[in-house]
Amino acid sequence: MRKKILTVDDSKTVRIIVRKAFKAFDCDIFEAGNGVEGLAVAAKELPDLILLDITMPVMDGVETLTKLKSDPHLKGIPVMMLTAEGGKDHVLKIAKIGVRDYIVKPFKEDTLIDKANRIIELKPLADGPGRARSILDPAEILVVDDKPAIVQQIREGLKHTPWKINGVSSQLDAAEFCSRQVPDLVIASLALPEDGAYAFLRVIRTNLKTKYTPMFALVVKTETEAQHRAQEAGFNFVVTKPIDVADLESRMAKAMNLDMSGRYYTVDDDLLVLRLPENCTQAGITEAAQHLQAKLAETVDAGYNQAILDIGAIKALDVGVIKLLMQAMEACRELAMHFALVANAQLIAECKGYEDTRGWTFYETLEDAKANLGKRAAKAAPVLAGT
Amino acid sequence: MPAAAEISECLIRENISRAVADVFKTMMGRSAILSVAHAAERGEAPGTSVDQVIGTVGFIGDLNGLVYLYLDEGFANQCTGQILGLNAFELAAAGAEVVNDAIGELTNMVVGSFKNALCDAGYPCKLTIPSILRARNFCIQSTRRAEHRSYRFTCGSHRLVADIIIKSGD
Repeated sequence: MRKKILTVDDSKTVRIIVRKAFKAFDCDIFEAGNGVEGLAVAAKELPDLILLDITMPVMDGVETLTKLKSDPHLKGIPVMMLTAEGGKDHVLKIAKIGVRDYIVKPFKEDTLIDKANRIIELKPLADGPGRARSILDPAEILVVDDKPAIVQQIREGLKHTPWKINGVSSQLDAAEFCSRQVPDLVIASLALPEDGAYAFLRVIRTNLKTKYTPMFALVVKTETEAQHRAQEAGFNFVVTKPIDVADLESRMAKAMNLDMSGRYYTVDDDLLVLRLPENCTQAGITEAAQHLQAKLAETVDAGYNQAILDIGAIKALDVGVIKLLMQAMEACRELAMHFALVANAQLIAECKGYEDTRGWTFYETLEDAKANLGKRAAKAAPVLAGT
Repeated sequence: MPAAAEISECLIRENISRAVADVFKTMMGRSAILSVAHAAERGEAPGTSVDQVIGTVGFIGDLNGLVYLYLDEGFANQCTGQILGLNAFELAAAGAEVVNDAIGELTNMVVGSFKNALCDAGYPCKLTIPSILRARNFCIQSTRRAEHRSYRFTCGSHRLVADIIIKSGD
């Protein structure tokens, strides 16, 4: 269940900082600008935690806290003071009324999260409900390697993705990066000085914000002992050099739990398009096949009955591609969907050479395929008698 | 308990210097370094001729006082953007009210840290609610019974001034 946190502060700035700090967690933030509003929201929402300022107009934090603690329905709600009032005597006096913790401003967001997590268990947002992230969504990737050529190779190899590759050269820079923003995935070189990758792994796993962030180790293919040690230490995956970027991309997408179907399937002008990308590997073909039935079913469910199977971008025909197309055509027939095939001249010629594919009709462009499907749909439409 | 006149300039300087540095470091990751400290002269305008955003927070108790924090408008906007994680376009869309609130809170934190150190030194007092002034060539003048001191800080290429008026409680 989502946690509820109420921030009571007359400063909109503090309320925005609180909202920002908890953004990555599965919780709802409620706001109040003074004690009176705070008590009203607390009574209505029964939050799991209240963050309370002291110096506020209308009703200050001390009076608000006293009223909360004297209300049988509200007195059990844990309160954490978040205030610039921090003299020792003052803190002791307020602690006696009953607070779970006390943060004196200025404060770091990490401190706030850490202390809140000791009172209510916070869950990162990825564990909660919401739309699954797709391969087409942006992601922040942090690469920690003191060799700029490696960072550049990863950046170049993944430039077709919407992911931003942030390169840093040391464990300290990486920690500084993570203090500013939570990366979606980290790749760290095991060759960093003084076991920097392992030290950074510990930092990542002990920080509440990053403890679930996937972290890959990067090591030379022949260093098997180092690979074994990295797996034991808890790296999610070990990437070996020389890097197979296509495989790395697929591993990264899986580690980030991304919905991969967007790479192969789009809905274009009310029809489903299955398009194999230029650099499609066997793993990619398998991935496309895994989503096939669900995507066709979604299309039919949405009221459409046309599909285009486009292999025009790939360079050579192989058994995997042929099997996928056969599977797709069979599924379309079962669902009474119209479909058309698109390929380039070379692939069309290759198809003529195989018994199973010789009779297939291809179009050379998506537009031609769409036009043909349009004609077929018009023919299939029932003709109404004129009145 | 010593009276306000007996509070050493050293205590005030150290506390305000630590408070400004701590708040800027924690909230924005920036270094603010004390460059000039002096007794404020009558009629002296600590601000510059460009538009300024001036945050004010008082403290009342065994010591009474007011702290004015002067920031050039451009610097105030930059600080607000950093504190709230807004870029220049988002900040422009948010408007001056957001900057006022952020500088008010920044001043509240600075004066809170300053005042808490005074509390721990044996001068219990409480904070007042922040307010904001927008002006050019703005200067404050104190009554004869109050200490008035001015502290200039540099923060990168920017300058900010903490003007402090302080007197013992009645």
